[in-house]
Amino acid sequence: MVMYKVSYVVIGSNHPGGIANSDHRPYIHEQIRMGDTTFEIIEVFDLMPARGGFQYIHATCRAVPQEPEINSL
Amino acid sequence: MILTQILKNVELFDGLTDSELDEVAAICDERRYRRGEIIAKQGEPGDEFFIVTQGFVEVLLEEPRRAVVNLGPGQLIGEMAVVDQGPRSATVQAVEEPTVVQVISRDEFEVLCQKHTRIGYIVIRNIAADLSFKLRHRNLSEK
Repeated sequence: MVMYKVSYVVIGSNHPGGIANSDHRPYIHEQIRMGDTTFEIIEVFDLMPARGGFQYIHATCRAVPQEPEINSL
Repeated sequence: MILTQILKNVELFDGLTDSELDEVAAICDERRYRRGEIIAKQGEPGDEFFIVTQGFVEVLLEEPRRAVVNLGPGQLIGEMAVVDQGPRSATVQAVEEPTVVQVISRDEFEVLCQKHTRIGYIVIRNIAADLSFKLRHRNLSEK
């Protein structure tokens, strides 16, 4: 099984981004979550050649604006 | 999921056989953290390293406190303590609940590597690759 080690770089905010494994190749418009924030991926490319069972991916993403909570009546 | 299956999906152990993964699993200890709990504190001595298996952690530098990266499943924390035996270079805090890590003691890891030198070679090579990946991530983040 191939694993994808992904470097998530965030633009448009001071969030430092993150690194995580994924069981699938990230894709544009995919939404991912780090801590309390949801991000949308806007760019994906190979960062380094694959080695062993891993592919190394860069994903640029931006924070998805959070909708205000709706209070139930 | 069986621990060896979890370890198989961690780059640190990429290249190990199933029996070698069993040897590594035997020295792993699982710990669970709530959101906001500190896993490692900058400046303190570090005699163990961690693999995130669930959730996310935030790596923070102190004074002034600032986040430098978030690390999720499959990622390694505290490996510098294994490489240089220095104090913790950053604070690590859980940012999701639960955050689950596998903990390996440096002493037990060194004994394992001396006993099974092939494991030692592969894991140290993979630690170097992981540090390289983190540098590439940081370079791209600071563009």
